Amino acid sequence: MTKQETILDKMQKIDRRILYWVLFIGLMIPFVSPLGLPVAVTPSTVDLYKELTKVKTGEVIIINLAFGVSAWSECLPATVASTKLLFKQGAKIIFLGVHYDVDLTWAKIKDQVPAFKTLTYGKNYVYLGFYTGGEATVARLATSIRTVFPTDADKKSLDEIEMMKNVNVAKDIKLVLSSDTGDWCDYYIRQWRVPYGTPVGEIGIAMLGSSYMPHYQAGILFGMTVGVRGGAELEKLIGELGEATVTMDSINISHVMAIVAIGLANLGYAATVKRGGK
Amino acid sequence: MAYPTALLDVIGLWTAWLMMMLSYSYPLWKENHGFRFAEFTFVSTMLAINLIVAISNVMRVAITPMTKGEWSYIIPIVLGFAMYTMLFSRYRWISRYPVAILVGIGFGLGMRGVLIPSVLTQVIATITPPKVGDPMSWLNFAYIAIGTICSVMYFLLTYEHKGVLRYPTRLGRWIIMIGLGAYFGNTILFRFSMLAGRAQFFLQVLKIIPL
Repeated sequence: MTKQETILDKMQKIDRRILYWVLFIGLMIPFVSPLGLPVAVTPSTVDLYKELTKVKTGEVIIINLAFGVSAWSECLPATVASTKLLFKQGAKIIFLGVHYDVDLTWAKIKDQVPAFKTLTYGKNYVYLGFYTGGEATVARLATSIRTVFPTDADKKSLDEIEMMKNVNVAKDIKLVLSSDTGDWCDYYIRQWRVPYGTPVGEIGIAMLGSSYMPHYQAGILFGMTVGVRGGAELEKLIGELGEATVTMDSINISHVMAIVAIGLANLGYAATVKRGGK
Repeated sequence: MAYPTALLDVIGLWTAWLMMMLSYSYPLWKENHGFRFAEFTFVSTMLAINLIVAISNVMRVAITPMTKGEWSYIIPIVLGFAMYTMLFSRYRWISRYPVAILVGIGFGLGMRGVLIPSVLTQVIATITPPKVGDPMSWLNFAYIAIGTICSVMYFLLTYEHKGVLRYPTRLGRWIIMIGLGAYFGNTILFRFSMLAGRAQFFLQVLKIIPL
């Protein structure tokens, strides 16, 4: 006689495609009809914000764009919010990036920060473009930016760019903000923070939250934002809600669905084990 | 950003949308020719862009300064070309020199900065009690201090984990598992937000929400 399948058995056999469809559609709903769930601000984001608000007019900041197009949803909102805040403080920003698609990221940042329309290239900000070479290049940047970047991304000599005239080594830079998906913040910690004392902050994807938290708690990083949530927190702190705040509803829904799916699968598994199955 | 009106921009937008849906057709339906097409197009396009960016970078950073008289750049260029000898078994030994230089520089640079942030400061942070007196800070301090000691004890492999080592190593294993769980949770969070970004793009292209 065939054993009758219970609902618990069926729960273990749900086609993964059904779950993907439910997830994909579920993620869309909050974009159409926002839920406006509250976002609590974590201390690491507050510290990042506080340090950025200490930047004085004319001080030069490096924003390292170490994320590709695929990580826009995670890193871009906090990078955009930081850029807005830094421009409000009157900072001069050097943008540089390590991904081959960094030009697209740069274009997106320019599109999302209204201040670019009023500020002057070469006076308030400069885009140096792509660089490679990992930690060795980051170390070289600390001793001579011109060796790594003889020109900016448009092949204009750095000596001809107004804001770069007296900027070439780590001591000329107020702080570094590394927005990344990998090890680049580590390189700046090891090659800028430790030897020269340059403050380093991190805008990381969620995966990096647990990796860099020890550095933040030990005071190596002055602050950090974690993923899209960190972006939403920073948007809240600067008072300009944007992409991350909208996305957070969707992320919250996805978490609820993931928890429900994990719960159902484990319930089915536990029931099977109880009945002597594997 | 407003919805594009120029024909090329609109085509670009819809191509991106189509490629995204073809890529998702694998998990949402099954492996198919459309998915393969999107996969191969993605890999080949990325490779082409990567190659162009890399060559432009070498031109900008090394070749151009060299043509202006900075001959020292010949050294990294020669070392770079030496890497290609890896493709020829007879001359493969030459490629060991640039690899050795790369590893040496990487190791040296890494060691210079790794001790203070990753060892010394971490030890100090672990054994320094919190300055504020709220219970949560003390709980965190105790968890991190005990967790660190027990987790390190778990890797004490020269002694069997019994007797006095039994409970601390077991606790260490639990703490490592909690840590890995948190790491995995963060990984899932990252994937979800990538997916949320695509879900948003899906709606934006269809003009259901503003771009």
